[in-house]
Amino acid sequence: MPPEGSQQIDGAPVAVADYGAVGAGLDALERPTQPRTRADRLRTITRSVLPPLVAIVLVIAVWQALWAAAFWPEFQLPAPKAVGAELWRDITSGAVFGQLWVSVHRAVFGFLIGLVIATPLGLLLAKVRIVRAAIGPLLSGLQSLPSVAWVPAAILWFGITPGAIYFVVLLGSVPSIANGLVSGIDQIPPILPRVGKVLGAGRFAGARHIILPAALPGYVAGLKQGWAFSWRSLMAAELIANSPQLGQGLGQYLENGRSLSDMPTVMAAIVLILFVGIGIDLLVFRPLERRVLHSRGLTGSA
Amino acid sequence: MTATLAHSATKAIVEPAVRLTGVHKSFGRGARSVAALAGVDLAVAPGEFVCLLGASGCGKTTLLNLVAGLDTVTSGEVVRNTSRPAVMFQEAALMPWLTATRNVELALRLAGVRRADRRQRTEELLDLVRLTGVGDKRPHELSGGMRQRVALARALACTATGDDTAGLPSLMLMDEPFSALDAITRDVLQAELLRVWEATGTAVLFVTHDVREAVRLGQRVVLLSSRPGRVVREWRLGDRSSVAESATVDEINGRLREVITSHAA
Repeated sequence: MPPEGSQQIDGAPVAVADYGAVGAGLDALERPTQPRTRADRLRTITRSVLPPLVAIVLVIAVWQALWAAAFWPEFQLPAPKAVGAELWRDITSGAVFGQLWVSVHRAVFGFLIGLVIATPLGLLLAKVRIVRAAIGPLLSGLQSLPSVAWVPAAILWFGITPGAIYFVVLLGSVPSIANGLVSGIDQIPPILPRVGKVLGAGRFAGARHIILPAALPGYVAGLKQGWAFSWRSLMAAELIANSPQLGQGLGQYLENGRSLSDMPTVMAAIVLILFVGIGIDLLVFRPLERRVLHSRGLTGSA
Repeated sequence: MTATLAHSATKAIVEPAVRLTGVHKSFGRGARSVAALAGVDLAVAPGEFVCLLGASGCGKTTLLNLVAGLDTVTSGEVVRNTSRPAVMFQEAALMPWLTATRNVELALRLAGVRRADRRQRTEELLDLVRLTGVGDKRPHELSGGMRQRVALARALACTATGDDTAGLPSLMLMDEPFSALDAITRDVLQAELLRVWEATGTAVLFVTHDVREAVRLGQRVVLLSSRPGRVVREWRLGDRSSVAESATVDEINGRLREVITSHAA
């Protein structure tokens, strides 16, 4: 039934076999090259590790200089060495590990609950127009409301209990994660769901095989922000909801430093809070984000 | 010419793969509605390669969407007597997070092919479009032409599968699939498409605005008018000599120009 191969016609410049060869040549020429070598990788590491180290050293140097100039009294600006000694004392006594555990396990647990609540909420918001119209603006608004504002209400509702702390953490993390998922879904090129439809994907299969993986970059960005908000909210809650029954987390440690006017303790607590925030971001969310973006050919920050 | 004769003989007995009867399609409602298609009649026989040609705004893509079941007619009838049609778009539209192999496998999976068969079918399909050995590459690591070939393999995956549709003719719907490619790649892919078509015997409804492409590929070229779209004329291409082809190209070009000029007034 097909016509006698149009390639075999008299005068046609290219024969069948040649099309294969031309095609192979084009493939070889047009494939994006991947110039990444080991030397490159080494260079990226030095480029990404060295600058922040230099920055930290500079900050400490300026701090030391300001302290040496004695503009402020010692109880306002302690020496870097005094803060270092306080940190070292906490580490050697083992107290720091207890505090880290109390705070980090609360933040992680709160974040995970937030994840479980926010993911279906985000899907609903993105896919059901009326839900979005009803609570979309509210959720975006909640994102800009500092979650510390919820601490007084949480204490009145739940008392000084872990429940109050988790409540504040959830109000910090849920809006970020849900909004991240919504924007991830909004940014899916419309052609991909259409492809799903012509391939015969139903609503459920379409969500599982196309919508969710396609929305992953936005979702991961939301998770990252959700973690940051969880951690912040937790510190705010621990700082205010302070009671012996709650155990001593980093927030309480910081508050103790303030009540004793012990500036080295205050500074040491801030260093530890930063350390956890940055550490989890670098260990968990950066690699996750990089993997997601890299596999899609969207190279984000190197 | 023998090919054409054999073709018209089969057409008499066999039911068409797709038949459109008096298809109207308008968008919007009431006074503001815009008619995209106004009374299109068209039949595609099993195994036939039909090119739909027209200037912009002729409703080519609308027509394809109707046949694919992505949209519904305003009035008239679309009867499809085929397995699930394979669709190719202007962009490859591959899932960017899946490798070439996985993209093809996804189509098979959604078509309900068992896992054990998927691997082998995928390999055969990638071989068919000459992509042996690049199955583990992701779309961004492939050239535009290769991506479009993966899309072709994926499209073929859903024509030739599914137990419930066994025995039904297959159909491919292609919406200007090569128009975003450079001239040399397009030339190669047109040859590849003809080769794949001959190998699989699927019916093809191919939308394009390029007269030369339509004449090169199609057994039949159908010219649509613009706004609203209806069939102006069709040409059956039997004589495959380059002289006859270029004469046909000139003739169709002339007719297309007339159609476009009529809109200037």
